Amino acid sequence: MSKENMIELRNLSFQYKDQKDGKALEKVNLTISKGEFVLVMGPSGAGKSTMAKCLNGLVPHFNRGEYSGEVIVNGFVVKDTPVSTMAKEIGLVFQDFESQLFSTNTKLEIAFGPENFQVPRDEIHSRILEMFDLVDLHGMENRQPSTLSGGQKQRLAIGSILSTYPKIVCMDEPTTDLDPLGKIGIFNIANKLHAAEDVTLIIIEHETEESLNADRLILMQEGKIILDGKPSDVLREVELMADLGIMPLQIPKYFLENFGTSKTELPLMPEEGIAKFKELGASLDEQQHQSLIQMDMDREKAYGDVLIEVSGLEHIYPNGNKALAGIDFSVRDGEFVALLGHNGSGKTTMVKHFNGLLMPTAGKVMVKGQNTKETSIFEVGQHVGYVFQNPDHQIFSDTVYEEVAFSPKIRGCDQEEIDIRVKEALAAVGMSGTEEEDPFSMTKGERQRIAVASVLSARPDVIILDEPTTGLDYREQRQMMELVKKLNRNGHTIIMITHTMWVVSEYAHKVAVIKDGKMMMYGTTREVFSHDEELAKSFLKTPDIVHMSNLLGKTVLSVDELKQCTKGV
Amino acid sequence: MEMFLYLDNDTFLHRLDPRTKMLVMLATFVVALMFYSLNTLLILSAVVLIYGLVGKTLSNLKRIRFILLMIFLFSVVLWSLTYGGEPKLLGPISLEGILYGIVIGIKFDIMIIAGMIFLSSTKVEEISLGLVKIKVPYRGAFAFATAIRMVPMIVATSYTISQAQRSRGLDLDSGNLVERAKKYIPLLIPTIISVIRGTNVFAMALESKGFGYSEDRTNYLQISIKKGDLLVIFMALVVIAISVYYRFII
Repeated sequence: MSKENMIELRNLSFQYKDQKDGKALEKVNLTISKGEFVLVMGPSGAGKSTMAKCLNGLVPHFNRGEYSGEVIVNGFVVKDTPVSTMAKEIGLVFQDFESQLFSTNTKLEIAFGPENFQVPRDEIHSRILEMFDLVDLHGMENRQPSTLSGGQKQRLAIGSILSTYPKIVCMDEPTTDLDPLGKIGIFNIANKLHAAEDVTLIIIEHETEESLNADRLILMQEGKIILDGKPSDVLREVELMADLGIMPLQIPKYFLENFGTSKTELPLMPEEGIAKFKELGASLDEQQHQSLIQMDMDREKAYGDVLIEVSGLEHIYPNGNKALAGIDFSVRDGEFVALLGHNGSGKTTMVKHFNGLLMPTAGKVMVKGQNTKETSIFEVGQHVGYVFQNPDHQIFSDTVYEEVAFSPKIRGCDQEEIDIRVKEALAAVGMSGTEEEDPFSMTKGERQRIAVASVLSARPDVIILDEPTTGLDYREQRQMMELVKKLNRNGHTIIMITHTMWVVSEYAHKVAVIKDGKMMMYGTTREVFSHDEELAKSFLKTPDIVHMSNLLGKTVLSVDELKQCTKGV
Repeated sequence: MEMFLYLDNDTFLHRLDPRTKMLVMLATFVVALMFYSLNTLLILSAVVLIYGLVGKTLSNLKRIRFILLMIFLFSVVLWSLTYGGEPKLLGPISLEGILYGIVIGIKFDIMIIAGMIFLSSTKVEEISLGLVKIKVPYRGAFAFATAIRMVPMIVATSYTISQAQRSRGLDLDSGNLVERAKKYIPLLIPTIISVIRGTNVFAMALESKGFGYSEDRTNYLQISIKKGDLLVIFMALVVIAISVYYRFII
């Protein structure tokens, strides 16, 4: 590989105009050579996106602020070059695929970039064909982008960038909003691009598991580069990663904590883990495993009355789309259920029946003994709270107090009662004392908590959470899930839609897998997660530690459980 | 939910040049605004509907039927009560007033329908390209086309937001007018904020794709005036000419 420098950051510092504390980037030095595949990881606010925007000049031309140091990309001094000129050198893909697409059909979307660069029309046509091949969108040539799935949209967004033949491609959290199937599609493209040796690829990611394919892994925190090295070396820095707030791989974490295996010897993947496990002469303790199963069974027995009962539920949308094809399902008081399945499988449609947002087109839904058809969303809403995926779709008040008080106020509580409930809800989400703050100036994790509090203040029995951890970093995800766990302990029944498998394995009691409007699998998390192959049919992959334990013949759900069950040495 | 108004069919109407369709829309507006005769407007309505039918675009009217109906009813009620005229039927309501209300209602509705048929049969890119060809600067044309594109996106966002707020107990259907208006605040603010956030990414994505790299750009989409266009243009010009002749010269 040539050693030609594609990207050079020299002492780069940047502070956004309206940023109060600290800098987004602080004295960053970085060199990336031609053809490299670099992965960047770090907690929210580490400066990853800012760095990406510095590469094509959105910083400082679009986002203004205090800029010092130098960025040179393929010979261009970025600070002195317009973004539209940089676009020829470097293509930037954003997380929010909805806002990146603006054309009437997919072909025109891909044509937009080359059109701007005055590429001849015939050439544009051949590039369009090439892109459909590269981003795997055959048969979608004349579709409107809005009719595509999330994964297809993001692939189209990537295609629309690649069609200008940039020498560098930078993707800023391209998979965050995607389901597992969508993620696979993006990683496939990344691998294809990496195979083409002249493309330099930079990806900002949260997914630790896919990082092994990269040439380099960079960890960032508070505007600085903390570690820069080969992925296999960086991933063995389990403790450092945990400190930074990045999820460490489970397998090395287990070996480090359980056996104190030295850094250079740490296995990374489940298969390597098995080999090491045998080499160490360890085995799984039958009795400990039985006691875990016993605990699952005890929990099962402790659930209360049936709160939600669904029978023969079908839903056909006005456009004729059959989203649900006969679902039978019930939720008992105190349960913690996770719903899995790719986008469009019908999970969201299903839960929207639980609080009366949607009505069955066949079958029925009973909430606390009442048919949702015979009551209103206002009444059902008292029993079933629904936290939407994007907190910004529900926050509207100037102060946290007003936001959380909205629901009890509208339900006619008196002032004293409202005060009590706001206090109680904020305490439950760990945000006491923020009553007078402006929710819009909070971080996404905090806004998500306020959204939960504003649902809690209605004191619902059941809380539905739609992808509560999406867009949060590892530490925020943990905090969010600890909160949900606490709510469950305090007596709330939880129904959660998610794509994050480790969250399910560590927190959910039960799992339902939905595919094509039907329930494919249902049972305790341990039961469902013991079927690796069947899950794979719904494009679901168990977390590494679960996979490794399955290979060993007994299903455990977390690193701690595996430690508990490990015998010998 | 369907986001765009454009209906992707391959009809005579869709194949027409966007400039031709703009002229037809202009002709419709000219006739609708200049004449107050019920017969003329009914003939115009029939022509416009047949024109829309050729492009299989009338199914989109279902989406705005409520607005069309409300405009029509408001017009009839308002003018019946305020127009005066003869013969009196009941209180201030007169036959002339009712007829005038109907005429005004049709005027507005037919202009909206003509606009809807245009948007249903013309891609946003064709609109901007058409505007460029009639010498509107590209940035202006693109901004105009983007504004059209934004409307359905805002509708889709506000739909999600209304579901979120209804789940929290927001009940839009009760209370008097002032109370109800207040209830829209929980919908408006998140919608505005989401749109602002979205447009921010949109602007960055545009720049990242080289928007504004040079004054000239290639157009992958090609439009040209064909035989069918000439025929339609001729007819539209004749209609405009006759209208002007009757209205101002005779």
